[in-house]
Amino acid sequence: MKKTLYIFQKGRLRRKDNSLLFEGEETGKKFIPVEDTNDLYLFGEVDISKSSMEFLSQKEICVHYFNQYYGYYMGTFYPREHLNSGHVILKQAEHYIDYEKRVDLARQIIFGSISQMTQVLNYYKNRIVSGADEITAVIDDFKKQLENLDQAKEIEELMAEEGHAREKYYSLFDYIIQNKDFPFEKRTKRPPLNRLNALISFGNSLCYTIVLSETYKTYLDPRIGFLHSTNFRRFSLNLDVAEIFKPIIVDRLIFSLLNRKQLNKKHFDKHTNAILLSEEGRKIFIRELDERLKQTKKHRGLGRNVSNRRLIRLELYKIQKHLLEEKEYKPYKAQW
Amino acid sequence: MAVTATHIWYYFICKREVWLLSRGIAADQEDENLDLGRFIDRNTYQKNKKEIVAGNIKVDRVRKEGEEVVVGEVKKSSRFKESSRYQLLFYLDSLRQMGIEARGELLFPQEKKREKVEWTEEKKKELDKVVEDIRKIAKKPVPPAPKKINFCKKCAYREYCWAEG
Ligand code: SF4
Repeated sequence: MKKTLYIFQKGRLRRKDNSLLFEGEETGKKFIPVEDTNDLYLFGEVDISKSSMEFLSQKEICVHYFNQYYGYYMGTFYPREHLNSGHVILKQAEHYIDYEKRVDLARQIIFGSISQMTQVLNYYKNRIVSGADEITAVIDDFKKQLENLDQAKEIEELMAEEGHAREKYYSLFDYIIQNKDFPFEKRTKRPPLNRLNALISFGNSLCYTIVLSETYKTYLDPRIGFLHSTNFRRFSLNLDVAEIFKPIIVDRLIFSLLNRKQLNKKHFDKHTNAILLSEEGRKIFIRELDERLKQTKKHRGLGRNVSNRRLIRLELYKIQKHLLEEKEYKPYKAQW
Repeated sequence: MAVTATHIWYYFICKREVWLLSRGIAADQEDENLDLGRFIDRNTYQKNKKEIVAGNIKVDRVRKEGEEVVVGEVKKSSRFKESSRYQLLFYLDSLRQMGIEARGELLFPQEKKREKVEWTEEKKKELDKVVEDIRKIAKKPVPPAPKKINFCKKCAYREYCWAEG
């Protein structure tokens, strides 16, 4: 499978004949193996020429931009769509415009999201020192919530259900992490006000970009989401699908990074009104995330091993099949 | 919809694939089997490949034997004989509509085999039925459900078809 490339240093990206050359301040000149590159993450201050953008677009490589100092996600250069099927786009739009169809899909996404949170809690329930009863109580709550989802007839109700679930879920983080340097306190996004929030925000933004890169490999239009409304100014389908993968990809990674002490206080910087992961911290986070995405598991439908990253693509395929009305979408459920 | 030789090819293998192709839903572009196909195409047959393009058909070899035009189609293996036969018949029929009478030959160089394919009124009727059926499949609002067949293992759509689970 093609690789994801991360650039942390300052430098210049330009086209040289039939390849891309990165001139880094630290490492000097380096060629980027475009044929083997899936997408590009720019964390450093990278000057990028128009001809290299053209080349990246031609090679169908998405470029995700992050702010160098704060690590905030800034946006994605999503090359002109290369896969295009009028039929799929029309069906996607139809499922957005037809409110009932839209609610049905949004409900499945919320269902997937809460189920995945349940899976994470199940995993930690027997591995923690204290809080097993609290976790069990929330798992029971989630079960009831999932049963009641059918009654929700509005997107707003579904959003609220998800919000409540997430609140309960976050309230258990202290039991799972058990590290006084990383208390949950409360969820703060822009800006994150403590270390744990900084990790969640950073991880989630990466998760959005991964789903976006995978969407690029399908016929789906990332601007038409179902749970997150479409305003055509930003991508939203990736936010939908990320709901299902955040718990198992981002949250579990955070727990393991903290419990194995791969990240500690030192990896965070205090800014005037925010606490953010330092560059060193971001590097560690990404290295481990990349590892996790490459890990494979046996897939029952396909009868062979697929990577975690591939699971995201398969999820998008399932949504496409739902839109084509060939098979009702049932969200992925981790099995462990 | 313009029925092409590709549709004919897949018609005998998987009707679902015909539908997907007809809606412009191409297979996974990173698929390793597809890459292998491209590689074989570009390398193995490059040397003796003299493609002839006429209208929307593309044939591998054409030669003249006396008054007769002979169209040769080179195939990797005889595994998909039915597909190969009808594809060639489709070519012969298209040529006929352009006023060229030809007979055909399927070549399987790796197996050192060849097979004759001739245009007859009867065969033409069968071909028309196939073309008609392809049009019907393409018009269906929903794709035919996937069926696990041997070909799935090598099919570039397999991740799409079997994503459930
Ligand atoms: S994977 Fe199997 S069912 Fe799907 S298109 Fe290919 S051959 Fe047909």
